[in-house]
Amino acid sequence: MIYIFGGLLLISFIKQKDVILNKKRNLVLFLLLSVCGIALGTVHMISPYIPSIAYSLEGILRTLLVNR
Amino acid sequence: MNEQLSMRQIVFMYLFISLSPVLRQIPTALADESGRSGYLSPFWSVFLILPLASIIILLIKSFPSLNLYEIMVHLIGKVFAKLIITLYLVWIIVFLTAKMNIYSLTLQFTLMPKTRSDFFMQIMLILVFYALLRGSKTIFRFSEFSLGPILLLIGILFACAITRLRTDYLLPVSTINLPSTIKASTSVIAVGGNMIIALFFADKLGISLTKKQVKKFWFGAIFFIIFSFVITVFTFGITGAGLTARLPFPFYITVKSISFFNIFERFEVIVTLICILSDFITICISFIILMKLIQWLFGLEQVWFCFLPLAIIVYYFSYFLSSTQFEFNFLYRYIIVNMNLLFQYIIPFLLGLICLLKRKYIKKQY
Repeated sequence: MIYIFGGLLLISFIKQKDVILNKKRNLVLFLLLSVCGIALGTVHMISPYIPSIAYSLEGILRTLLVNR
Repeated sequence: MNEQLSMRQIVFMYLFISLSPVLRQIPTALADESGRSGYLSPFWSVFLILPLASIIILLIKSFPSLNLYEIMVHLIGKVFAKLIITLYLVWIIVFLTAKMNIYSLTLQFTLMPKTRSDFFMQIMLILVFYALLRGSKTIFRFSEFSLGPILLLIGILFACAITRLRTDYLLPVSTINLPSTIKASTSVIAVGGNMIIALFFADKLGISLTKKQVKKFWFGAIFFIIFSFVITVFTFGITGAGLTARLPFPFYITVKSISFFNIFERFEVIVTLICILSDFITICISFIILMKLIQWLFGLEQVWFCFLPLAIIVYYFSYFLSSTQFEFNFLYRYIIVNMNLLFQYIIPFLLGLICLLKRKYIKKQY
């Protein structure tokens, strides 16, 4: 899926290059968001079964309650 | 996206996006928190939902044709406004991602248990993209046209189920149960706060609010409370509070036992469809709000180019946020509900308070 998203990002960039390249801010934001998305995708692809945020928070809360 | 909206459309949108949490999360949360007496909790929410409605009306009336960001800039200055907008950005990303999660979990729980969640999310993102291409007005119109038939359908289901309601599942309720019902009302309040969307689209409401528009807004808030009460009574009365507390989608199970004069049955598919439609509209509106927040935060003229990167972030973040029904239940109960209370009530209440303190100065300006 990450490759499809990568391809779509490229197509999106080409289609909207006038808007994105019009201002430096637009380009920086587009690149920043794209990099964040791709980074999340890469992490998910490398280790798809890492504990979720909800699971980790639940563990932390339980530990805190037990220590009390 | 620069089209005018009516208060009626905003109220219908508020009710439409509240449909799925009312059918799915509220009965479970109320049954879990306060047992058999949980159906009384929607009435306690009146004490927060109605003041919130009055504050939203106050803000819109004090700052006509301005949106939430512009109102905040006038009240607390640009720096604090941007800071709060950043916090809203985090909230809406978590909210949107959780919505994507529960949408796929609902489909897996009800109709397609063997299909993987990524398939549902991909289809949803394609549909949202297509809907957003048509503009926000189309989404508001869709909710405006669909809400009536949906409520009629729920009304018919309720009429069919009246004979199945068991009073021993609902009564007796004593004063000992009242504290727990007050505590449980937070889950109703957290959904009722969705009316804050009016502030995000306040700049499209026109120059002044008429009495008729204000009445519609009040009607929306009161209707939400009555609707949550009816759905909870319906669910508790047929399924029982004990079972409702343990089920991820109790209304679905409740509707399974209903038949129309023993001729038509299996209405649960319709309930799933209603929830999916509500989720779809919620995801669409959350994406619009997310892009608005980015536009305000970075002072952009156009923001549509951000949709695809944001969609990718939301898609992958949903795997990191929660992956099972149990994790989602925890996330909703302890994180989403509290975040909703902060962003839908505490911040608007503070803004309302500042607005009241600065009222004389504001009146001179407008």
